[in-house]
Amino acid sequence: MGLVSLGDMAQSFLLRRQGVALKSDLQRLSTELTTGRVVDTAARVSGDLVPLFGIDASLARLKGYGAVTAEAGLFAGSMQTALGVVDDLSTDLSRTLLAATSSTSQVLVDAAGRGARARLETAISALNTRVGDRTLFGGVATNGPATVSAETMMLALDTAIAGATTAQDIEMAVSAWFNAPTGFSATAYTGGPALAPLTIAPGEEVNVDITATDPAIRATLKGLAMAALLDRGALAGQPAARQDLAKRAGLSLLESQTDRTYLAARLGTAEAQIDAAAARNSAETTSLQIARSDITAADPFETASKLQETQQQLEKIYAITARITRLSLMDYLR
Amino acid sequence: MSITGTLSSALSGLTTAARAAEVVSSNIANAMTEGYGRRELQTSSRSIGGSGQGVRVTGVVRHSDPILLGDRRLASAGSAARDSAAGFLKRLEGVLGTPGSATSLGGRIAAFDTALIEASSRPDSEARLSRVAETAKALVAHLATASTDIQTARAQADDQIESQVAQLNTALGRIAALNGQIRTSFGIGRDASALVDQRQQVIDSISGIIPLREVPRGNGQIALFTTGGAVLLDGAPAELGFSPVGVIIPGMTQASGALSGLTINGRPVSTAAEGSLISGGALAANFALRDDLAPQAQSRLDAVARDLIDRFADPAVDITRIPGAAGLFTDAGAAFLATNETGLAQRLQLNSAADPAKGGALWRLRDGLGAVTPGAAGDARLLKDLQQALTAPRNPASGGFMAGARSHATLAADMLSGAAQARLTAEGEASFAAARLDTLRQTEMEGGVDTDQEMQALLLIEQAYSANAKVMSTVNDMIQTLLGM
Repeated sequence: MGLVSLGDMAQSFLLRRQGVALKSDLQRLSTELTTGRVVDTAARVSGDLVPLFGIDASLARLKGYGAVTAEAGLFAGSMQTALGVVDDLSTDLSRTLLAATSSTSQVLVDAAGRGARARLETAISALNTRVGDRTLFGGVATNGPATVSAETMMLALDTAIAGATTAQDIEMAVSAWFNAPTGFSATAYTGGPALAPLTIAPGEEVNVDITATDPAIRATLKGLAMAALLDRGALAGQPAARQDLAKRAGLSLLESQTDRTYLAARLGTAEAQIDAAAARNSAETTSLQIARSDITAADPFETASKLQETQQQLEKIYAITARITRLSLMDYLR
Repeated sequence: MSITGTLSSALSGLTTAARAAEVVSSNIANAMTEGYGRRELQTSSRSIGGSGQGVRVTGVVRHSDPILLGDRRLASAGSAARDSAAGFLKRLEGVLGTPGSATSLGGRIAAFDTALIEASSRPDSEARLSRVAETAKALVAHLATASTDIQTARAQADDQIESQVAQLNTALGRIAALNGQIRTSFGIGRDASALVDQRQQVIDSISGIIPLREVPRGNGQIALFTTGGAVLLDGAPAELGFSPVGVIIPGMTQASGALSGLTINGRPVSTAAEGSLISGGALAANFALRDDLAPQAQSRLDAVARDLIDRFADPAVDITRIPGAAGLFTDAGAAFLATNETGLAQRLQLNSAADPAKGGALWRLRDGLGAVTPGAAGDARLLKDLQQALTAPRNPASGGFMAGARSHATLAADMLSGAAQARLTAEGEASFAAARLDTLRQTEMEGGVDTDQEMQALLLIEQAYSANAKVMSTVNDMIQTLLGM
């Protein structure tokens, strides 16, 4: 029976079926060519999507760490600037104070005292710096100032040194106030415990745990405050004692300079670590993106040539369909 | 040979040619009708009184290939069954999401992870904490959507079973009626081809639902069996019974009696995938989807939801909670109980203590779910612990996953891979079944009406008709000659 006749519908069915298959191929290939990605990713990786999802998860995590390193870098940099400000003005003041002790003139001591008062305010304001509405030296209490104002601090010191008659007494009282847990840390420091280590890359943490209670900062503030006491009339009427106090304050600031340098170096190490982590993260992001596109990318050359091939095939089918439909006995029976 | 004998022969020739033309016209008219069997006029020479006296129509033969037809019907059932499974798995993969899409389950988990990392950098930022809550809710919503979709697929399968059973019952009734008409036609010797065509079409219409075997019975009648062996029609049609439930929630099963099984003539029939009387067609595929495939997907989804809950339920993660209280994620607001895992994905919620939309406060994400007052704004320890808890390697407690500690993202990726793998396999099988069906249909169509052949036959019929007419006119001339003498 197959030899004598061939059903009409068989031909059209065959052509239709092949046409549909080619058209769906054409659609898939043109999508792949325009997006540059394979349409069925699961088929490309034989259903094992774990590596691909793993890459995606890592990329998302690295994006998060990108934000963390950018912010940590900004905060550490701002802290470094603030510490620089404090260090500059302390060094500057120590020089002025020591110079004032070399002459017998009270004017120089008075002037140094006034300068110390202003510098203390600058130092306090540097420690209370807020970046992005976040206090830098207040530990976990990022939403308020790190210390009280210079005036409040001086008032507390006035009480602490009450009754002291010599420069040495005053220095001891001021030192005690800054060092005792009940003094500066309890009454003048308004921040909280140091910040927890910050995760800046998978499995890597950086410690930016510097607060205003750091020994180096406290020692610096002590020197500044001692000098500022001169401006508040400490040891009034005892020129020699005032000169002694100015000298002690100057020396104290000079002594604490090493600590300040170490503190800046510690912060610098953290900054370097953050920078290195950021660079590593971005390198990892790039290599993961390359790996990802290796898995999902559709080779444009291959896709384009397949597209061409499919198009020609489809054109052939159209040509054949047109020919075959004309090939009917009906047309010749006229 | 007498002149009247000649006239009679020519007349029979004319009649036969007319009948043949009628058959050809019917064939051409039905050239596009599926299930139409090509007709052919059968003739033989007529003999009267021992000598040839023209031509006789012995009948109309309807061409069909029962073996091919049977194969095609089985292929159609197989293809419909695999299409159903592949369709569900494709839908499941679609709702879970594919890699690279931010709206995939993997993308949601990654977004939550990123939000936690970013919040640990700025625990004082409301925007960052709010992002943590939003991404957590998006993740929860995604799991719930996927779960709802799976249950919707089950409910749709249930509906389809109902309509398929109704279709089967109607079709079996019609086949039985057609069987009766065909028997009558046979009895009075009328051409029953049109009725056979109709019966074939009706059987074809249900061949995808259930794999059928057609067995000829006397007088052109047929009996229908499933390949599994159930009698669907042998004389009287069988009555299939099923009662749909409408809405399906996780945990409803056929075993618990919440979902209906199938009955044939009132007797329950197993609908298990293997060894069932009805296995192999779209009906069995729908039962498999409703009772196996979808619940399996649901249990995996529930296992992922449970993993999420368990990760944050660890008392070490957040010490402010009362021991035993729910962690960051809750089972409909309460702590999760291991005995209550079915359908968890649908009930999963972000703890309302940390959800501003439910009277909670964002700072509890930073300071602990049990905290009474906000703590230090810069304290990132809990947020870091949460991120740790999300990514720490952990053994899945349920879901039949391969043993081995993995992060939550990897567990979800494992589930998605499983779904993708199943989809690829099902699609491969479906396209194979479809190709087989297409080939058989094509072969079947090759035996259908060929208009070229019919036109050729028509030419011959035309010739035969004019030849017979010529004979008659010649005989007429002969008689005229005789009369004019």
